Amino acid sequence: MFKKVLPALIPFVAVTLVIETLVRFGLVKAYLLPPPSAVFLVIVHDWRELLSALGKTSAGALTGFILSTVFGISIAVFLSSSRAIQRAFFPYAVFFQTVPIVAIAPLLVIWFGYGLQTVIASAFIVSIFPVIANTLNGILSTDPALRDLFQLYGASTWVTLFKLRFPAALPQILTGLRVSAGLAVIGAIVGEFIGGQGLGSVVDIARTQQRTDKVFAAVLLASVLGLGLFGLINLISALTLRHWHSSERS
Amino acid sequence: MLVSCGKTSKIRLALNWKPDPEFGGFYAADYKKHGLDVDILPGGAGTPTVQMVGAGSTEFGIVSGDEILLARSKGNDVVAVFASFQQNPVAIMAHASRNLASIGDVVKDGTLAIQSGLPYARILKQKYGFDRVKIVPSPAGDIGPFLSDEKFAQQCFLTAEPLAARRKGAKVKVFPVADLGYNPYAQVMATSGDTLRKQPEIVKAMGAAVQEGWRAYLDNPLPTNERMHALNPSMDMDTFNEIAEAQKPLIEAAKLGSMTKERWEALAQQLKELGDIPQMPPVEECYRAI
Repeated sequence: MFKKVLPALIPFVAVTLVIETLVRFGLVKAYLLPPPSAVFLVIVHDWRELLSALGKTSAGALTGFILSTVFGISIAVFLSSSRAIQRAFFPYAVFFQTVPIVAIAPLLVIWFGYGLQTVIASAFIVSIFPVIANTLNGILSTDPALRDLFQLYGASTWVTLFKLRFPAALPQILTGLRVSAGLAVIGAIVGEFIGGQGLGSVVDIARTQQRTDKVFAAVLLASVLGLGLFGLINLISALTLRHWHSSERS
Repeated sequence: MLVSCGKTSKIRLALNWKPDPEFGGFYAADYKKHGLDVDILPGGAGTPTVQMVGAGSTEFGIVSGDEILLARSKGNDVVAVFASFQQNPVAIMAHASRNLASIGDVVKDGTLAIQSGLPYARILKQKYGFDRVKIVPSPAGDIGPFLSDEKFAQQCFLTAEPLAARRKGAKVKVFPVADLGYNPYAQVMATSGDTLRKQPEIVKAMGAAVQEGWRAYLDNPLPTNERMHALNPSMDMDTFNEIAEAQKPLIEAAKLGSMTKERWEALAQQLKELGDIPQMPPVEECYRAI
């Protein structure tokens, strides 16, 4: 375990030390880049507030991410059913990728009200596209020889989908989920800027008070959340793929 | 960061919002006449002008009075050199149908959209408590949520959002934040202590140019409004002209751009009581009268 974590810790410690030194020697101003020690002190001092904010952001990001997973995979399955359907609807899926969330976030507040729903909607909108695109690509690239084999044995469309195409697409689906997890955290925080609560709100308030140390403390916790989601998907990936896919066989 | 001396170097003035009447005097100023070549950089919600000035990425920036004191307490050496708004233009607007009598009534029920990190928001909270009202983030100029909810009140500029809301048919009552006794200078032009020491002549010339600019803008805002409208077409000309008229008393309440030690001391005292700054600063260092 320690051997696995150690390589990741080295850059973290190195960067922290470099920044701390730069600020200590006055090469960088503390109000522009807070020293890591100040960020650490904020986390220690305001841990109740930050932890409660992290909890709210996690709820928003995780719910948005789960919705993206469920709807994204369903939409991809629907799109994969025929070329015609794909041509008719896929361009609209691209809409989700390009929507400038900051621009429509104020509307989300009017549609869903202030609070968690707006945060979930924001996380959902920015995180669904990678799930759709990767799942679709995975389903469509099933080995044609295996597809012919299923057809030869008279397997129904549904059996082919669940026994062949879906499992074969799993590596791509998981790649989509990894991308989408990080986006869900960003989406949640943008939603919180507008909808209030959570780490987004902490950042917003700290910014007006010129508290760069607190801004960084909140950003640090947001990345911890992103790492957590990423780890969760890696775990699922390891459990589902380890017997057959080269990416999870050591 | 290296500004060569002499009249040819470009001077940057960073705004914290898009070109609109609150910056009228800065656009009306004839900088060339004072031997200056000035680039006005429009901003948006959250443009960190006070940090930009401190870091030297702009020579001048528009900030609020409280931002100066806060920044100085964190070692960011910024100095106020021209106070455009003598009266705080920040206000809270509510629907007239609620029959609210004073600013304390806006927290009695419903929803209040404010920047809760700002000092006035915390004074409001200390005085009246936020336990009966739902506090949500300020929508930064957007009046959509306000129009769709009769119990919604929001932070605004005295001269901007109430006008927009009335145009959409809403009946609005406006409570200036100055009613709370919180009245910092606003749309303050600031520069860094470094610039002030190394290029005092530029700071002086800027101050003079801007003072004349505001005088010209107050007397006849039309030509400048046309120029700003070209840069910010989302605000129509009628709005430009109406705001320019409505903001006059806030700007002309004292000699254009002037600042007094008493006002800075009163502000520092309030910020100290809020715990935003650790101790009373030497206020004479935070501003330089032109």
